[in-house]
Amino acid sequence: MFLVNFLIRRLAQGAVIVLLVSFLIFTLLRVVPGDPVRLIVGGMAPDALVEQIAEEMGLRDPIPVQFFRYMSGVVQGDMGQSFIRPASGAAVGGASFDDNTRSERANVLDLIADTAPYTLQLAVLAMVFALVIALPIGIYGGLKPGKWPDRFALYIGSLLISLPNFWLGIVLALVVSVNLGWLPAIGYQGFSYTILPAIVLAVEIAPFLIRTLTVSVAQNMGESYISVAAIRGISHRRIVMAHALKNSSVPLLNLLGVQFSMLLGGVLVVEFIFDYPGLGLLTINAVLQRDFPLIQGIAIVTSAAFVMINIVVDLIATTIDPRLDY
Amino acid sequence: MISRRGILGGVGAAALMTQINPEFLISSAYAQTGKPIIFLSAENITGNWDPTAHTTLSQKNIEAYVMGYLSRAPMRPENPDETNMELAESITLLDRYRLEIKLRPGVSFHDGEPFSAKDVKATFEYGAQPDRPAQWYPGPTDTFEVTTPDDLTVIVDTTKGGYSASLFIFLASYLPIMSAKDVAEGPNGSLSQRLNGTGPFRFVEQRGNDTVLEAFSGYFKGAPKVSGVTYSFVGDGTTRILSMLNGQASIIERLEPEQIDTLTGKPGITLSKMISVENKYLWFRCSKPPFDNPLIRKAACHAIDRSIIYEVLGESGSPSSNFISPIKFGYIDLENYPEYDPEECQRLLAEAGYPGGEGLPELEYITSVGFYPKTKEYGEVITALLQEQGFPVTLNVMEVAAWNENLYDRPGGGPGHMVDCGWSTGSPEPDLVLRTHFHSSSKRITGLVDPDIDALLDKERSAASLDERRDIIQKELTPMLADRAPALSLFTSVLVHAMDSNLTGLFLYPDGAIDASAATFG
Repeated sequence: MFLVNFLIRRLAQGAVIVLLVSFLIFTLLRVVPGDPVRLIVGGMAPDALVEQIAEEMGLRDPIPVQFFRYMSGVVQGDMGQSFIRPASGAAVGGASFDDNTRSERANVLDLIADTAPYTLQLAVLAMVFALVIALPIGIYGGLKPGKWPDRFALYIGSLLISLPNFWLGIVLALVVSVNLGWLPAIGYQGFSYTILPAIVLAVEIAPFLIRTLTVSVAQNMGESYISVAAIRGISHRRIVMAHALKNSSVPLLNLLGVQFSMLLGGVLVVEFIFDYPGLGLLTINAVLQRDFPLIQGIAIVTSAAFVMINIVVDLIATTIDPRLDY
Repeated sequence: MISRRGILGGVGAAALMTQINPEFLISSAYAQTGKPIIFLSAENITGNWDPTAHTTLSQKNIEAYVMGYLSRAPMRPENPDETNMELAESITLLDRYRLEIKLRPGVSFHDGEPFSAKDVKATFEYGAQPDRPAQWYPGPTDTFEVTTPDDLTVIVDTTKGGYSASLFIFLASYLPIMSAKDVAEGPNGSLSQRLNGTGPFRFVEQRGNDTVLEAFSGYFKGAPKVSGVTYSFVGDGTTRILSMLNGQASIIERLEPEQIDTLTGKPGITLSKMISVENKYLWFRCSKPPFDNPLIRKAACHAIDRSIIYEVLGESGSPSSNFISPIKFGYIDLENYPEYDPEECQRLLAEAGYPGGEGLPELEYITSVGFYPKTKEYGEVITALLQEQGFPVTLNVMEVAAWNENLYDRPGGGPGHMVDCGWSTGSPEPDLVLRTHFHSSSKRITGLVDPDIDALLDKERSAASLDERRDIIQKELTPMLADRAPALSLFTSVLVHAMDSNLTGLFLYPDGAIDASAATFG
């Protein structure tokens, strides 16, 4: 019963959030400079043709009318077609004077479905790498508050957070791929192409995990039930692994949810540098080409993913700590 | 203390490790022997493969691998007018209005259709239609007539249009020949779905951002030695150079000056630098004040010291003093080309009624970033030089999509007052620049309407011979353009490619097109 109520309430809230985000993005796209119709038909086409095609595409209607028409399609599973990309999914631009073949444009949902798995793979691997870095450093730092492991955790976190991701990406590609030849760097032709971009993303999120773990573990180790457990004869290893870490995991879980959601948006720079064919690269090209339906679709999918991840995280958190009430 | 749980876990983990194939996880960046040519392009393509439906340079470069041309023009500075026959065996001007093209026998399209005169006729008649976005022809379809006395002979008659048939000579090296069967299906047919040509590589598919081509075994000059070409759009210059350095790319283009320094001397990498067909221009909006006044346009030209711009560009630019590239037909270093002369600038401003620039409206100078090299940097130089002479200029740097939308002329005058843009057309034909931009029937960016310039453009187009045409261009037309200054050509671009040193046998054209029919990985 709690689960049903929880889901209904949170999904309703999520729907409102997604709607608001969609409307905001929808409006912004239509007020900033850069007419997609000019990009579609090309610079040599006369202005009269630009206006004619814009009328046919409904781009001169009032914004609320356009939004209503768009959302009517979305609720039926139709996010529209890309203004510019053909069914092959290529990033296109330039003078594609092309209203005749517009019916052969790629469906937005197909473009997102094709690229989202790559970003998902990248995000999951980045999270794994981040945990591999953060768990030992954060836990050990939390177990030794005020001592060198704690200070080390602070310093390493400060160092990692100071590294710009675009710089780190280029340096890693240069050293690991070019100079050492250990890993490929550009594009995607197999799982190995995910490793370097995932390392860059992991370096970006690990500091937050380290800090949260250090604080959380230290706080829990100072609780009275930990002292009592020792008196009861439970081994230190079991106290840490079975009790302290379990209670420390709730803030970590919340952070993981937020960081995962931010990863989906934060992959833009990394995917662009590594030419990794995920949602981030798709978004950048869509913005540069004013591909409104594609930008809109990505915004909806990303905000929906954010909402769902937070719902799942909150649900898991209540499982771990029944005192929590979402 | 070792527990049974620990032992069992350890054994299980060991067993699992033997099942993991490390090749799935890790593969060497260099494990790519026997691959096709991987070309990384700086520009994306359009979604429509019809060669008449776009003016995008990258897509024209893909066409150069797949399509056949009646002739090819190497366009080298030492011999810019040279043409080599390809699908044609000869191109002969019979008289002022008639051109005869004799075709090569034994050639076929990738779909198996034999190449013949009807394909040339279909290509010309379709491509010259006024609704085609790529307007390369000297006149629309109803201004010329194409006849085919036999399967290997084409006669182009331009009597109806009143212009010389010699205008088709240079176009012959620029226009890809399409199959008549494809053309018959119209713009919604197979023309837009895929490329079908007579070239050394066959179009296979568009896979995301990769255009996949494979060697065509039936190529009339012999099958290519490489297995194919993968033409990939990679928008970031740093990404392209990293791909070159780690061996993932065979060729990359559009190197920045700093990247040229990085790659020079690198083992395993060869650089190719050549004068391009592309000039970079400062275009004036000539249809609205103040640049509707030629005196003010000339004053602005005299305010700009192009030697500083050359320093900014380094190896990416080459000096030139004309409105077309030095490798285009009719180029000459113009004696009256406006050079840096602050005194002359002030004199012209005073003559125009704006002494020291007083009274001039606020001027917007639009440029782009992220497409051409160093546009923001030399844009700042030009702005400072103009301000020094009293022009109240504001530089507006836009990303490419917004710049593209603000580039062209429109009724009432296009946005801003000055625009930076390059123009590249892979043919010696100068009208692809001059007529496109300076004739009142086209005036794509400048909005210029000047009857005197129109008259000279019409005169050179109607010249009886190439020699007469050259004379008119060099002695009348381009000197007048220098005097009226609807634009200032800042420099000629230098095309720089980086290539795998093992890749030999390539021929690079100065618009970026590549002939890889004889290429091999040594």
